[in-house]
Amino acid sequence: MTEKMSIRMSGLGGQGVVTAAHILGMAAYKDDLQVTVNPFFGAEKRLAPAESYVRIAQEPIYERGEILYPSLIMVFHPHVITMGKSYTMPFFDGLEAGGTIIINSASALDLSEEERDNLAKLDAQVHYVPASEVAMGVSGTHLSTNIAMLGALYRIQQRPSLDALESAMVERFGGSKFVASGSTAALDDAVKEKFAKVSQMIEKNLEVIEKAGESMFQQTH
Amino acid sequence: MLQQQVRSPDYLFFEAEKKKHFLSGSEAVREAIRKANVDVAISYPITPQSESMHLVGDLFAEGYVKEYFRGENEFAVMSSVSGAAMAGVRVFTATGGPGTMRAFEMFPVWAGSRLPIVCAFLTRGINSPLTIQPDTIEMAFLLETGMLMLHAETAQDLHDMLLKAFIVAEKTEVHLPVGVFADGFFVTHTKEILQIPDADSKLPPYDPHCAPVPPMDMESVPVRQMRDPFVMKSNFISYAAHASWQQEIEAAQERSRKHLERYLGGLVETEHEDAEVLLITSGTAVSQSREAMRLCRQEGLSVGLVKIKSIRPFPSDELRRLAAGKYAVIVPELNRVGWLAKELKARVDDPRRVIGAPRVFGGMTMPAHLIVDEIRRVLQ
Amino acid sequence: MSTRIVSIAPAFEDVMPKEYKELVENGPYGKDYKVTDLGKYKELIEEHPLCAGCGLALSLRLVLGSLPSPEDTVIVGSTGCSALVFPQVGLHNVHSLFGNQNAVASGIKRALSLRFPDQVKDVVVVAGDGATADIGLDMVMQSWFRREKIATIMLDNEAYANTGGQESGMSMEGTVMNMAPKGKVFPKADLPKVAEAAGCAYVAAASPSRPGKLGKVVRRAILIAREVGPTYVQLLSPCPTNFKTKPSDTVVTIKAREKEKRFKQYEYISDDARSFLSALEDGKRSEGKQPEGKQS
Ligand SMILES: Cc1ncc(C[n+]2csc(CCOP(=O)(O)OP(=O)(O)O)c2C)c(N)n1
Ligand code: SF4
Ligand SMILES: [Mg+2]
Repeated sequence: MTEKMSIRMSGLGGQGVVTAAHILGMAAYKDDLQVTVNPFFGAEKRLAPAESYVRIAQEPIYERGEILYPSLIMVFHPHVITMGKSYTMPFFDGLEAGGTIIINSASALDLSEEERDNLAKLDAQVHYVPASEVAMGVSGTHLSTNIAMLGALYRIQQRPSLDALESAMVERFGGSKFVASGSTAALDDAVKEKFAKVSQMIEKNLEVIEKAGESMFQQTH
Repeated sequence: MLQQQVRSPDYLFFEAEKKKHFLSGSEAVREAIRKANVDVAISYPITPQSESMHLVGDLFAEGYVKEYFRGENEFAVMSSVSGAAMAGVRVFTATGGPGTMRAFEMFPVWAGSRLPIVCAFLTRGINSPLTIQPDTIEMAFLLETGMLMLHAETAQDLHDMLLKAFIVAEKTEVHLPVGVFADGFFVTHTKEILQIPDADSKLPPYDPHCAPVPPMDMESVPVRQMRDPFVMKSNFISYAAHASWQQEIEAAQERSRKHLERYLGGLVETEHEDAEVLLITSGTAVSQSREAMRLCRQEGLSVGLVKIKSIRPFPSDELRRLAAGKYAVIVPELNRVGWLAKELKARVDDPRRVIGAPRVFGGMTMPAHLIVDEIRRVLQ
Repeated sequence: MSTRIVSIAPAFEDVMPKEYKELVENGPYGKDYKVTDLGKYKELIEEHPLCAGCGLALSLRLVLGSLPSPEDTVIVGSTGCSALVFPQVGLHNVHSLFGNQNAVASGIKRALSLRFPDQVKDVVVVAGDGATADIGLDMVMQSWFRREKIATIMLDNEAYANTGGQESGMSMEGTVMNMAPKGKVFPKADLPKVAEAAGCAYVAAASPSRPGKLGKVVRRAILIAREVGPTYVQLLSPCPTNFKTKPSDTVVTIKAREKEKRFKQYEYISDDARSFLSALEDGKRSEGKQPEGKQS
């Protein structure tokens, strides 16, 4: 990896946007990369817009806070785009030229002509992944949608490594008491309830990652 | 709970082997307090501080902190920690933004009572309009409360400054409260890489007999002070009492300099200090300035950086020297009022060279390119 | 506190003020004096700057004369007339701010329990009605909710006296006062009932018109707070200056109030407190002179 990755994840509260960022960040850390992770700065409410930001690089990272000029945008829910459930409008605002977008949707979204024009001008690479369907199909819960999104990211970037992702998930769900925020901790408990054993959960999540990668498709402008 | 060994502050700060961790700012608070040998911690929720005090609560449950409870509001919390400190134990608390304002009446009392309270101010905006986002405006209000004020840029700073704060606060010749400030969210909720010593060591316990005023424990002679308290009549004795006491607090702040210099490695930190244009700031505005400096230097612009670590005492001499002869001094700030620019202007030889910009506040990050724009504008 | 701490080093005997020597030789530290002993020993307070005939001064003298362990008592006051007395009281005492007395006391109590786990350390709040029932009510009640082991004593002069006689929540309905130019439009707050509901193990209302009773309830409140839970004592202590009564009539004023049925003594003892008290009183009867409730 030579390029700095500046990732903006947009979704709805409760989808695990913040958790996904933490797992990704932890994995990058385990791969000995420089990394900072932060959630959006606001009140956390279910189904309200939620964002988180991950910066990964080989060089030291100075900047903090929300990422205004991402190289990668991950949209965890179609409503972010179709219903404007986002603090960042349009959803690709600030995307670097040639940047990548990953959208959770089973079918390509009906983007406006203006949106398509702008994406074309940016030479944006738009990928889709049916993350919710994969999550439901493999692990029987939409709560691993965020993991499916990480699977799609892995498919494209191959970084951080799969091993690192796995051990990041073990660390996150395996009982180490990390508290991102009050509400996120409550969500963790909900996830854990769904799985008898953490190891089983990790196994399922790895399968989610793989399946998500396999079910991606691209949209041309 | 880990078996912990009491080690000297110098061991913990300078000699202990440090290990790499990936932590949020809130977790950095927990790791500092785990090693700080705190007796009493009192909490009250406010975003973005709450996670820190949740984690301190966990430390209490594990046995690292001896006493912990949730107070009823910030004014009460700041009152209760003052009571505990007066009665001779090491205390810790944290708040931010509206919590700071709610508690305000207590802060001058802390310094006035010479209490070595350590408080983390995890800063945020102040209403109205309603905000919970990062902003450092509360620091403007706290400047003259008599407390020492350290400003962390990163989770690493937050961890290190908290531990060091206890030791500086408790020096007999200082014995003042220390506020350790970190920008809410940008530090508290950001996970980053830190190097910290293991938790098998902890600071020596607080010794209440190092206090310049006796602890309130009825273990020393209860002195009858006077029949007619000063407050009953304005007169020379009343003036003299206040003048000497308040100046003594100022003097105690001054006496903290040498300790802060040693423990923090200086009240400021510089990079390319010979450059034509200097960015001078504190907190996470330093991080954004680092990126701006990197971008500018890539273009061949002569830009340097000064990070201010201690706001009280203020590094006046250092900054006057550094600012002397510069083409411009740019002070980016995460608040509307520009309190840091005002502080600087009051101290440098040529205040006209100090530019209080950019200012971002009320909820968003400070884009590095805003700082770059300001540098370009100045150099044109 | 061991009495050794207050005793004077021989080398300093000739330079110590007479006042201090008397306190050491004939003061109440380590003794078990009661209100009935007043006048026989050097008191913790003798002179004070309050108005002649002040009800607070009367109550304070009696409170200080009723402390079960003065050598291990820390008093937390609040802004108001009574705060002017504490600088000359021979006990560690704290004045922090107006209204935060119970929050400060909570911190002190917790810290002293950590530092002296096997030693009695009584923390007693003594504050005005404004401090207790108005500006500090949340912190007073919250300390009760939390079951902080502190005794809270209100010196109730039914006004903000220190600032010139304004209406307080404890003023009587109808009274014309500063800031109540048409008379107070709501009744006196029933803080004893509030204290009971908020979890106090012991609640009492008394006044300096009956010193013996006052001494008894203060003592009970402190002993119960030490062992069982929070306690509250409300002492009607009229302010002759602001209510324009004759300084020599303060006790008369209280008695008149009693006669008009506008004030009455009151005592609530929770079950836990009651069994503690009877154990204490039985123990005293069988052990003879052992000071009540002392542990160290
Ligand atoms: C925050 C604050 N508000 C107001 C005051 C002014 N003040 C000082 S004493 C006092 C009245 C105290 O009344 P009370 O508690 O009943 O005591 P008293 O003087 O009647 O004994 C007031 C309002 C203050 N010191 N601090
Ligand atoms: S004003 Fe009233 S309460 Fe205050 S000292 Fe004078 S008589 Fe006592
Ligand atoms: Mg009053």
